[in-house]
Amino acid sequence: MNKVMTAKEAISKHVSSGDFLFIGGYICRSPFSAIHEIIRQGIKDLTITRSNAADDFDMLIGAGCVKRFIATFLSLGVYGLGRCYRRSLEKGIPHKVEVEEYSNLSLPMMLLAGAMGMPFVPVKDMLGTDLLNVRSFMGENKYKMIDSPFDDTPTLLVPALNPDVGIIHVQQADESGNAQIWGIGGDCQYGANASKKIIVFCERLVSRETIGKDPSRTIVPSPKVVAVVEEPFGAHPGYTPGFYDTDFGYGYLYQQASNSEEGFQDFLKEWVYDIEDRTAYTQHYIQKLGYEAFKKLQAEFDYGFPVSYAY
Amino acid sequence: MTTYATDYIKPELMACCGSREIKDNDLVIVGTGFPTMSANIAKHHHAPNAIMMQESGVIDAQPGRTALSVGDPCLNPGAAMIGGLVEIMGMFLQAGHVDVGFLSGSQVDKYGNINTTVIGDYENPTSRLPGSGGANPIGSMARKTLIIALHDKRRLAEKVDFITTPGYLDGPGAREKWGLPANTGPEVLITNKAVLRFDPETCEAYLASFHPGHTADEIVEATPWDLKVAADVHETEPPTVEEIRIIREVLDPARMISVYEKKGYV
Repeated sequence: MNKVMTAKEAISKHVSSGDFLFIGGYICRSPFSAIHEIIRQGIKDLTITRSNAADDFDMLIGAGCVKRFIATFLSLGVYGLGRCYRRSLEKGIPHKVEVEEYSNLSLPMMLLAGAMGMPFVPVKDMLGTDLLNVRSFMGENKYKMIDSPFDDTPTLLVPALNPDVGIIHVQQADESGNAQIWGIGGDCQYGANASKKIIVFCERLVSRETIGKDPSRTIVPSPKVVAVVEEPFGAHPGYTPGFYDTDFGYGYLYQQASNSEEGFQDFLKEWVYDIEDRTAYTQHYIQKLGYEAFKKLQAEFDYGFPVSYAY
Repeated sequence: MTTYATDYIKPELMACCGSREIKDNDLVIVGTGFPTMSANIAKHHHAPNAIMMQESGVIDAQPGRTALSVGDPCLNPGAAMIGGLVEIMGMFLQAGHVDVGFLSGSQVDKYGNINTTVIGDYENPTSRLPGSGGANPIGSMARKTLIIALHDKRRLAEKVDFITTPGYLDGPGAREKWGLPANTGPEVLITNKAVLRFDPETCEAYLASFHPGHTADEIVEATPWDLKVAADVHETEPPTVEEIRIIREVLDPARMISVYEKKGYV
């Protein structure tokens, strides 16, 4: 089944205000194209989650799209604390996001549980710390402590998560949504598969035959995929292994702009609201920062031995 | 006979202090900056079979440049395995296979508890920090946790504003009571002035050695709790000529480590 559509169609058709979204990525393959489209379409009151959030989540929060955040971490990496995240939590600008705090073990395991159809999962972290003393919108269901029915030791249980929509950016997918990645995984695979439906953004659309030449790379098979969007450069300013590098220069631009509320709004206007789609974004990038800057980000090629699945 | 370097900077000394805690064949979870530098010094110096992993999913990366995050592009080509968080944090860390975790803290207290969540009141923060990320599980389950911090009365605390990552919590027996794995916890707190270790009886950090140019009295004064001083307190062993050669010729010819001087590690 052909599920290929534009980013605009995919987001308007499958993401609604009030939804719970898993948004994959870990600096690696951040689905920035989708983030910009969500902001452009004025979608609000979202609950968002991912382990190790970065500039993309900061931007969604600053743009006022987010009501709740199931969080482990949010920073701009080498560029420090998330400016919009801080303004939201310290000053209520544009509003105070409700945050449920977990860690980079517990949240991935909650997504794993969701993907596996398990109601909850025991984890060994967070014990004894203030992460167990703060509860937000999940209330009593943030976690439960029990004595293990097997050996009576204190055991922490955290609930499975099943987001309404999982949004990921991958290297390649076919038209039905078989999605393949290589490189750093973060919580992408389990987060996507825990979701009720999945939107796949890809650097390149490939044939079903190409997928079949290396099927072990598929992290999401087609059944739950509802949309496939071919979006080259779609993870910029994050990176995609084999395609382009992290754009640290652009990261600096974002940091400087988001230092102030006005600067952030100007940045959104320039790079999101006044931009039609990812093609226009890439054109704007080249016009503003130069083709050399764009070219410098493009990956070199270093192929290994091709794999063979023949018998 | 060991010859010591004389022209090193403080971040290089601190990185060497971290390196000396890593043994051959250790599995080490690293973040960027000091942890990576320390682990790499160890690999080139005395622990060639130590294996580094990043929580994002990478085992035994072979980066061709300095990684600026644990998700950095340069960690991908050449790694022994790339999975995701569930593989590193679950299959290795939670399963009990990680020997050394290496953390830095915005605020660290006398029990080695680390705060990276919030300065001030949680609900109405003075400063909202990133949150746990991988720090809490690493501090919970790595056999040894090495902590890096700036040594002043703001960064060190009698009690942190928020315990993001467990050290010895509120003292002896607390980790055991909560069911954290046996024989885990903070091993050493490396600051820009000193090396602090943790008393097995009281679980409190005490002064083990002071860096060259500092004195025990000065460090006690700069510490916001009643810092105990080891009977055998001594000067921290400076970097050797060989350690400095490894840092400058092999690992960091661009001297990126010097950015830590600007961050106060002097």
